[in-house]
Amino acid sequence: MIYFPLTSLDVSYNFAAEYYLMTQKHLQEPAFMVWATTPTIMLGKYQELENEVNTQFTSEHHIALVRRLSGGGTIYTDTGGCQFTLITPDNSGQIDFDDGLSLLSDALTTIGIHTKTDSRNDLIVDGLKVSGSAQYMTPGYRLHHGSLLFDANLDWLAKSLHADPIKLQAKRIQSVRQRTVNLKSQQPTWSTETFKTNLINQLVNSTHAKVQNFSVQESKIIQQLADNLFVNSAESQPKTQPYDHQQKVYVKGAGLIQVGYNLDNHDQIAAVQLNGDFFSNLEPQQFEKALVGTPHQKSAVTTVLQQQLQQAPIVGMTAESLAELLF
Amino acid sequence: MMIKEVHMPKLSPKSDDYFFGKWVKQPGDTVKTGDVLFEVETDKVISQVESQEDGVLTAQKVATGDTTKVGDLVATIETA
Repeated sequence: MIYFPLTSLDVSYNFAAEYYLMTQKHLQEPAFMVWATTPTIMLGKYQELENEVNTQFTSEHHIALVRRLSGGGTIYTDTGGCQFTLITPDNSGQIDFDDGLSLLSDALTTIGIHTKTDSRNDLIVDGLKVSGSAQYMTPGYRLHHGSLLFDANLDWLAKSLHADPIKLQAKRIQSVRQRTVNLKSQQPTWSTETFKTNLINQLVNSTHAKVQNFSVQESKIIQQLADNLFVNSAESQPKTQPYDHQQKVYVKGAGLIQVGYNLDNHDQIAAVQLNGDFFSNLEPQQFEKALVGTPHQKSAVTTVLQQQLQQAPIVGMTAESLAELLF
Repeated sequence: MMIKEVHMPKLSPKSDDYFFGKWVKQPGDTVKTGDVLFEVETDKVISQVESQEDGVLTAQKVATGDTTKVGDLVATIETA
């Protein structure tokens, strides 16, 4: 085990440090970090900012917004808590929260803080959440990271995560709302810094970790990764398609062809769109109009497509092969 | 030439429903064994799924935001 000290409070830099260890450090053994942030909202990788965050509140209070590379829901963090990161060389691709959570909860128990694990791999105290975990994997490595609330601003947490339900957009990962509590109630005389120091010392002792600092050159690389991958990441998201079904194919001689479609309650085509870089005089609107209302059966769809392609052939494409994209 | 089907592998012991994240390879791209094809999310974990074949990705059967189940056909690869 290697412990990498990380004193930055800049969430983009700290996520970039994780990514650097995952993709460029070529770790041969597990590594961990414990770190903190200025007031920050962290979205899961496939979440929509507007679905999860009161952006007026976060803007007024200069709360940083960032998108994780891991999954799961949105959380609030500040210097009243800390984040932990555990990176493990692993080629199995299998999801495993147990190793990381055992390491963390054992260390917490030793320093006098008692938690339990729930079904979502969160740490709870009396049913209230004190820590959430998420992971991402790259070939050869698994990253498990999470939060620990010690003396966080729970008022800002609640207000930041109070999104307008009218703005909810489908086809996104939605957060699961949970009530939270600070761990300070179990060690009321400690400052957050004392808590963090005690936790780090216990983790280093229990794992016999070697301490390794990032070099100046590594810090430069990490800053570049931060700028490229994390600064402004909350606003960017891969677009979802407006159709329930979509297929995209590459056909030699024809090029890229993409079909999106919806079906109605009678299993008929309700809406359809054809895109691509294929060569044809085909009028997409006429093509789409001809297909709407057609029963979603291969023979019926093929018949309509044969009629359309007779009027305007697509080079390299038959009606039968085009019909495959609607099934 | 052979068309090989790519099915959604089982990644989580807890769940068979995966949120389809994004495609890393596009139809027409050459792929090698071990290249990352696509990304999915389940149980708060982002996983990258690698190709088991050398060839050309010919079709994507699902898109960002789709719910896919273990075993679903997600792509085809034309192998030499």
